[in-house]
Amino acid sequence: MGAPDILYIEDNEDFIDVVERAIGQINGGKTKLHVIEDGTLALNTLDTLVENKVKPRLILIDLNLPGLSGLDLLRKIKETPALRYVPALIFSTSDNPVDIRTSLEYGANAFVTKPMGYNNVVKCLNSISDFWLNTISVA
Amino acid sequence: MSDYKVDLTNCDKEPIHIPGKVQAHGFLVAVDSKCIITYLSENISSFLPLKAKDLLGNDLKVLEQVLLPGETPGLINQMLQLGKHAKNFETINPYRIDVGNLSYNLIMSQIANFYMLEFEPTSSATEIDIQKTIGRSVTEMLSGKQLKHLLNNAAEQIKTLIGYDRVMIYKFSDDGHGEVVAEVKEDHLDPFLGLHYPASDIPKQARELYKINLTRIIADVNAEASPILTLPNNGEAHALDLTHSTLRAVSPIHIQYLKNMGVASSFSISLMYRDELWGLIACHNYSPRFINYKAREASKLIGQIISSALEFKQDEELLARSEDYKAAYDSLSRQLRKSGSVSSIITEQNSTILDVCDATGAVLVFEDQVIKLGQTPNDEQLKELNAWLKRNMQDRVFHTHQLPELHSQAKEYSDVASGLLACTLSKEMGELMMWFKPEQITTINWAGNPDKPAEIDEHGQLILSPRKSFDVWSQTVKNTSDRWTREEIATVLKLREDVVYAINRQANEIRTLNEKLKQAYEELDTFSFTISHDLRTPLSTIKNYSELLLESNTSLDDDARRILKKVIGGADKLNFLIKEVLNYSRVGRAEMEYTQIDMGKLLKDIKSDLVVALNVPNLEFSLGDTPPLLGDRTMIAQVFANLLNNAVKYSAKSNPPTVKVSGKEVNNEIVYEVSDNGVGIDLNYYNRIFDLFKRMDNVRTYEGTGVGLAIVKRIIEKHNARIWVESELGVGTIFYVAFRKSGNGSA
Repeated sequence: MGAPDILYIEDNEDFIDVVERAIGQINGGKTKLHVIEDGTLALNTLDTLVENKVKPRLILIDLNLPGLSGLDLLRKIKETPALRYVPALIFSTSDNPVDIRTSLEYGANAFVTKPMGYNNVVKCLNSISDFWLNTISVA
Repeated sequence: MSDYKVDLTNCDKEPIHIPGKVQAHGFLVAVDSKCIITYLSENISSFLPLKAKDLLGNDLKVLEQVLLPGETPGLINQMLQLGKHAKNFETINPYRIDVGNLSYNLIMSQIANFYMLEFEPTSSATEIDIQKTIGRSVTEMLSGKQLKHLLNNAAEQIKTLIGYDRVMIYKFSDDGHGEVVAEVKEDHLDPFLGLHYPASDIPKQARELYKINLTRIIADVNAEASPILTLPNNGEAHALDLTHSTLRAVSPIHIQYLKNMGVASSFSISLMYRDELWGLIACHNYSPRFINYKAREASKLIGQIISSALEFKQDEELLARSEDYKAAYDSLSRQLRKSGSVSSIITEQNSTILDVCDATGAVLVFEDQVIKLGQTPNDEQLKELNAWLKRNMQDRVFHTHQLPELHSQAKEYSDVASGLLACTLSKEMGELMMWFKPEQITTINWAGNPDKPAEIDEHGQLILSPRKSFDVWSQTVKNTSDRWTREEIATVLKLREDVVYAINRQANEIRTLNEKLKQAYEELDTFSFTISHDLRTPLSTIKNYSELLLESNTSLDDDARRILKKVIGGADKLNFLIKEVLNYSRVGRAEMEYTQIDMGKLLKDIKSDLVVALNVPNLEFSLGDTPPLLGDRTMIAQVFANLLNNAVKYSAKSNPPTVKVSGKEVNNEIVYEVSDNGVGIDLNYYNRIFDLFKRMDNVRTYEGTGVGLAIVKRIIEKHNARIWVESELGVGTIFYVAFRKSGNGSA
C-alpha cells in the first residue's frame, strides 16, 4: 500500500466530500488524499504504513471522532517514532482558544479552523498544501 | 472635725437579737435542759413576790410553787417536753396562769439548749371575738380584685382588729427602701401614704428577724427595758439569744426613731412573698397600747392570708403582663423558624421586637440598616450609642435604667432612652437589637431626709442617731427609667438565640442559592457554547454546497444563482450570529489575565481592521490621549472593537462619518470615550441597549446581531469597570468606559 500525500481523519461525510472536491481543484488534482472516518481505524492504518516503511506527508485530524478522539490519535502519532516528524494539523470547526492550546500541547504542528464556504475551503487547503507539502523540508 | 462619715450600714452591725434586755410589760425566765433557771429578767420582782437572786441556779419548781401553787410540781417541764417532742410550741402557747387577781400568758420557746418562758399580761387593749372577726376580715380583704384593693382592705381589717391609730402597709423595693402603699388612720393624723423610707430605717438584720417573727410588738417605747440576769459560768457570762423572744427589748436606735415620730406603741406584721420579706403591716399608736398574744396571733393569721393572696395576686398581675410579651415573642420565634428576611420578620409583622417587653422604643441594627420602632434616639445618636456599646459591652446583653448616668452623651435623649437594653447579634459587624424605656422623672417623697445624719456625742465620737424630722423631703430622680425585669432580659436573650439562628440559616440558604446560580450560569454558558458549535457543522454544509453548486454548475440560470446567493448570505448571517454568541458565552467562561495594555497600538489595529471590513473610506478618525489600561488584553480588545465597530457602522451615512476616541484619568479611574456623529440612541432605550439580542428600531437597516454591546457589558462587569452612554437621536453617541487605575478591583 502506497502512502497518500495527505491522510485525513474526519467523520463528517459532507465535509469529506467538500474537502475531496477542493483537493481535486488544487495542485492540478495530483494530491493524493486518503480519508479515514474513525480514530481507531486511522491508528491501524498508520501502523500498517509504518510496517511498510512508508508514511503520509501530512496528517489532518478532526477533533471529534468516533473510536479514538482527535487529541488521543494525535498523541499516539507523536509517540510513534516513525511518525513523530510527520506534520500533523488539527482541522476543526472550533476556534475555542482552549481547544487550540490543548491541541498544541498535545503536539499538533498547527491548528486550523475549518473555514465556512466552499471557496474558503479551497483557499485554505491551497495554502495548507502550499506550505506543508511544497514549502517545508521534512525529516 | 473629722471627715469620717458614718456608713449607714453600720447599724447593720448592732447585735439586736441579744440585747440582754426585755420589754417591761412582761418577764422572762430561761431554763436549761435540766430545768435549772439560767436566765431571768430583773423585773420579775415587780410581777411576783420573788427575787432574781433566789431563783437563778435553782430548779424551775421553785418558780412553779409561786406561779402554780395548786398544781403538781413539774407541769411546766411537762409542757416543755411536749413542745420539744412536737418541735414547736404553737399548740401549747399561750398557757394561761392566774396569780392572785392577775393573769399571764405563758409563751414558751426553745433556743439552742435553753427553754424560754415569757410571761405577759393576758389583758389586752382589744377584746374581740377573734373567730368572728377573722372570718369577716378575710372575706372583706379578698373581695378586692387588684393588689391595691387587697392591701387597703387588709389595712382596714387590721385597724379594726387591733384599734391602733395608724395602720400602714409598707412595700420594700429591690434596693431595700420602703414605700407606704396603703394606709388607714385616725382622721387627725397626717397621712404617710406614698411616702418613702430609706432602707436604713429597717436595717438588714431587722428584716431577717421580721422573717422569723411574723409579728412584733413594742408595747411602750417609754418603758424602761429590764436587764436579763445570769450566773457566770467559769467566770464568763453569755448573753441569751432572743431571736424567738416576744418580749425582746428594742434597739435604742429604733426606740429613738419611734420617739422622734411620736409613736408610743408599735406593732408589725410581716408580709412574705416567695420566702422573702415583701413588706410590713406597720401599726403605730400614739399612746401605749398593748395587744395580747391572741390578738397578735389573729393579726399574724391575717398577715399570712395576705401573704398567700399576695403571691397569687402578684403572680396574676405579672402573668397578665408577661402573657402579652410571651405571645409576641412566640409569634416572632415561630416566624423566625420559617424562611424570610430576618429584619422584616422582627420589625414589620403584627408582632415586632417592640412587643416582647415593656419598652417604648426598639431598634434593629442589621445588614447596614438601622430600623427604628416607636420612640428612639435619632440616627446620629444611635450611631454614637452603637459605637459606645461596641467599646463597652462585655457580654451579649447589656441593660441599664440610668443610661445618661453611664454615658453622658445619652443626656440629649434621656427623655426617650433613659433605659437601655441592648443585645448583640454580631459584635464584629456592630449588629444588635436595642430596646428603650423613657425617662421617669419621679419625685420621691421621703419621710425626712433619707441620709440619716451622724451626730457627735459628748466624747467627740460619731454616733448614729435616727432622723428627728419626718417632714416630707422630696427628691427628684432624673435620667432614670423603670427597671428592666428579669423576665424582659430573659425574653430578649431567648429572642437573640432565635434571630442568630435564623441569620445563620439564611446565610447558608443564600450561599447554597449562590452556588446553584453559579452552576446554572456555567451550565448555560456550556450549553450556548456547545449548541453554537454544533450548529456550525450543518451550517457549513449549507454554505459549502450552495457555493459548490454556484461554482461548478454553469447551466444555472440567473434566478437560480440569485436564490443560491440568498442561501449563502443567510448562512453567513447565521454563522456570524453563532460566532457572537460563542464570544458572549466565552466571556463568562474565560479566565482573566490582567496586563497593562498599550491602548494606542490596540486602538490603531482595531481601526485599520474596521476600515477594511466596513468599507467606510471617508471615515474621519481621531485618536486622542491613550493612557494604558489594566485588564485582560483579549477582552479589552473585544470591548473597543465592538464600540468602534458600532461607532463606525452607525455613522457611516453621516458626511463625513466622524469617530473620536480618547482616554483620560479621572479620580483614580481611566475613562475612555468613543464618540460618533451617527444615528444616536433613543433615550427610552438607554437601559436596554446592553441586553442580549436587543436592537433599536432606528438601526434595523444596519447589519448587527444585538450581541456586541451585551458582550461589552459582560466584559466591563468582569473587570468591575463601568460603562455609560450619552446620545442624541440624529446627532451622535458617546460611550464612556471607566476602568479602575490600580488593582483589578475584583472582589
